[in-house]
Parts: sequence; C-alpha cells; structure tokens
Amino acid sequence: MRHYIKVELLRMLRNKRYVIFVVAFPVGFYLLYSNLWGSESDQATGLRGSVLLMVSMAAYGALAAAMMSTAVPWSQERHSGWLRQLQITPLPGRAIILTKLVSSLLLVLPSLLLVGLAAVLTQDVSLSPARWVELILAMWAGTIPFAALGLAIGSLLPPDTAQPVAMIGMFGLALLGGLWFPESMMPAAMKSIAHVTPSYDYARIGWRIAAGEAPHAADAAGILAWGVALVVLALVAYRRATVRA
Amino acid sequence: MRVPIPTVKPMNAIAFTDVTKRYGDVLAVDGLDLEVPAGATVALLGPNGAGKSTSINMLLGLLRPSSGEIRVFGEPPETAVANGEIGAMLQEGALIPELTVAETVDFVRRLYPRPLPLEEILRLADLTELTRRRADRLSGGQTQRVRFALAIAGGPRLLLLDEPTAAMDVESRRTFWDNMRAYAARGRTILFATHYLEEADENADRVVVIARGRVVADGSAAAIKAGVAGQAVSFLLGEQPVAGLDALPGTTGVELQGGRVTLRTTDLDATVAALYRKTTLDIRDLQLHGADLEDAFLALTKEA
Repeated sequence: MRHYIKVELLRMLRNKRYVIFVVAFPVGFYLLYSNLWGSESDQATGLRGSVLLMVSMAAYGALAAAMMSTAVPWSQERHSGWLRQLQITPLPGRAIILTKLVSSLLLVLPSLLLVGLAAVLTQDVSLSPARWVELILAMWAGTIPFAALGLAIGSLLPPDTAQPVAMIGMFGLALLGGLWFPESMMPAAMKSIAHVTPSYDYARIGWRIAAGEAPHAADAAGILAWGVALVVLALVAYRRATVRA
Repeated sequence: MRVPIPTVKPMNAIAFTDVTKRYGDVLAVDGLDLEVPAGATVALLGPNGAGKSTSINMLLGLLRPSSGEIRVFGEPPETAVANGEIGAMLQEGALIPELTVAETVDFVRRLYPRPLPLEEILRLADLTELTRRRADRLSGGQTQRVRFALAIAGGPRLLLLDEPTAAMDVESRRTFWDNMRAYAARGRTILFATHYLEEADENADRVVVIARGRVVADGSAAAIKAGVAGQAVSFLLGEQPVAGLDALPGTTGVELQGGRVTLRTTDLDATVAALYRKTTLDIRDLQLHGADLEDAFLALTKEA
C-alpha cells in the first residue's frame, strides 16, 4: 500500500489541473492580496491582513487539494476500467479508498506549507513555533471532510458530472467559508448558509489559532459533525460504487 | 498461503458447475458446465452476447453467479484473485494517464505475492522500447500491450483474456499471439474469449463454442469442424440411379437437383473413396466442399 500511495502522489503532482488550482492559485493570490491589504487590520479577528490572508489562502488551497485530488480522478478511474484493473489484483478493496484518502491528505500539504512559506518570506509573518505546529495540524486535519466529500462525489457521479460538481462545490465552499471575501460583506441569506458549511468552521478555526486563541467550541463541533457525516457518506458511496453484482 | 497441488488427480484450473447468470429477465449464462485442466489453452468462441464476458467476469469474482458454482484451482474466484492466481485483460481498461509504462507495470506487479521480474514482463509484452513513455501518449495497440503486461505481471497460473486483439491491427495481432504463446509455454492455463474464428483455431488446444449462455460444442478445432455437417461432395449424376448413395460411409444426406447430386458428409475422405471404389457410377465434375470453422461456428450458434 505504501507503493500505491507513492504512485498516487506522483501522478497528481504531474497533473496540471492539480498544480494550477492547488499550488499556483493560492500562492499567487496570497502574493497579490497581501500586497494590497497585507498591512490592514481585520476588525472581526483582530488579525493583520497578511496573517488573515495566509490562513484564507492556505485554507482555500487545502480545500481545493482535498477535493481536486479525489472527485474527478476517482470518478475517471471507476469509469475507465482502472478500478476493475485493481479489483482483479490481490489488493483488498478497502485499501483503495484508504489510499485515496491518505494520498489526498498528503496532497493538501504543499498548499498549506507553500502559502505559509510565502507569508513568512514576503510579509514577515511570524508566529511562535508552537502556534505554527498547532495551525498546520488543525488546518491539515480539518481537510478530512473535504477529501471525504470529494470521494463521495467521485463514487456517486460519472466523470462529466463529477467535474462541474466538484468545481462548484470547491469554489462554493471557499466563498461561503469567507475565504475569498470576509463574512461581513455577505448578504444576510448567504451569511446564514455560510454558517452551516464546514468551510466556514474550518476557516474560523484557522483564524482563531493564528490570533493565538483557542478555537470556538461551536466551530470545532461543526467541522467534527461534518467530518463524521461526510466520511460515512464516502464509505457508503464507495461500497455502492464497488459492489459486485 | 500456497495450497499443495494433489498429484493423483490433476486439479482443474477452472470449473463451472451448472452456472447461471441472470440480469433481470435476461439469461446471460444458462446452466454452463465447463472444466479446464491446468496447463491448457482454451478459446471461448461465440458471437456477441453469447455470455463470454459474463463468464470471464464471474471467474474474476467481479460478478456473482445467480446459481451454480465456480472454482478456480479449487477455490472460489475471490480467493484465487486474492492469492494472485489470476491475471486478466478485460475488454475495457484505461491506464493512469500521468504514469509511465514502467511505473504502471511495476505498480501492478508489486500488488502480487509472486510477481515476475519487471524486465521479464516488459520483454514478454514487447514494451522494452516504451518503458518511459507516459500512458496518455501511447497508441491503441501499445496500450493493449501494456494491459497484457498488467495481466501477466503477477505471474498468474491462470490468464484470462477477453477479446484481447479487438483494437489491434494485423501485425500487432500476430505479435500478441506470439507473446501469449510464450507465456502459455510455461505451463500456465489460458482462457481467451474471441469471436475471431482463426484466432481460436490457431492459438488454442481446445475450442469451446458458446451461444446463448450455453456450451454448444467443445473440442479441438478439427473435431468441431468434423462434427458439423458442413462438408459435402457433389457431382453430375445425369440419368444414373441415386439409390444406395445414402449408404456410403459418413454420408448424412443426399440431395438431387437438376442432375447434380450433393452428398452431405461428416467424413469427406471416406465418402469420396467409397464413391470410386464401391460404386460403378460415372462421376463427372466432382466438387468438394470442406467445412471451415466459420461454417461450423455459424451452424452451431444459429438460433435453434
């Protein structure tokens, strides 16, 4: 299985769509936005713009990586016959979904780390080592619901629908989570939807940790509940997609 | 875990016992009984929709039979697959576009407990020149070679090929069958599905003809040809008597039309020899019609 994970990572790192949306986009936009608003201070969180944007763009990149590395590739593998190719080898079925999940979580790391690195190098962002560790671990673990969502989409939909659904889901969640513009700018209806999305909880946890405070219990509970629900959904959808008639 | 092979009774590589597969109202496989001893190369010949792919997918545990039992080396298909005993080339199967040929083959071979060495697989599948090429830059025929490499990567004792040459040109086909025979020569069992009659004739020790989910003929290609009344001898009889011709060896039918008589026979040589030795007829314009596998196939698979 270790070799399988290695192969999965290798292929995604060679995939242009992954590299553009997941690595180039968040780093590029971070550099752009932090130059514009990096020195302003955010009222809601009390964070300097360069730190707030670091968390936002890292969160966007992580969310995108988790969904882009799962939904479409997995749907394509099911439909192209690659899944069958694996099913007729001694590889057990559960190893396939587990590998997909683990690989997806590893593929989240480049955007998290590169945005952080860009923040340190270009905006002199400095956090204590303990806070860096806490921030990265929380933002890493927090992508589990999004990876599970991507896998569920890949299990339930054919590639031509999985593609737009994953894109809309990814940008929708990023927008509603307040990753592209702050919650205070959202219309009231959008705000109330935003409050129940996992990306909203995810972003708020990141900002709180960056500000040196403990995350709100409601946010932690929210993302945990989403995580459990989406992992269960992903497992059920996987079973349905691989069931032997 | 390896199960020792009993020496007294050779184990069947494949055993179907009264296997049925139903999709809703459609009976894809209808009471299939088939045994393939280890080491044989068998062609599963039949028209589209005969149940070839369904049977192969059941052998791989991808489909479950509606009733009956399937054994692969004495085990249920799922166990045989988990033990790495089976390799297969299915009808459809894309590769991972971002991986090279060598990466793909090496990945799959590592999933098996007793794989062949990478170099050997690449050589057996004619891929040594293409090892570093990415899968999305391969031609159709090259992709098929990679899929053959994946099928043999684990060194399986049973190799299943479902219409393996469908996307190949004539030259690739010939090379493919050479490669397949090289693999079979190591005592492995091979079952391949095809609707190309020459392929079955040229590459299998035994041909199993299936139609409508049932075995309709089973034997060597020659035996199947002989078993069908597709052979005939005809000549101008003129005013001579037709009586007694139906008693000639091998003859199964006599037709007379406009002075020309046609004898249907299961043994062309015996019928012709007897025609000259045991009758005193004046035989003119003798014509022989040998059966080829095509005739046999059509005769066997047409609706009863």
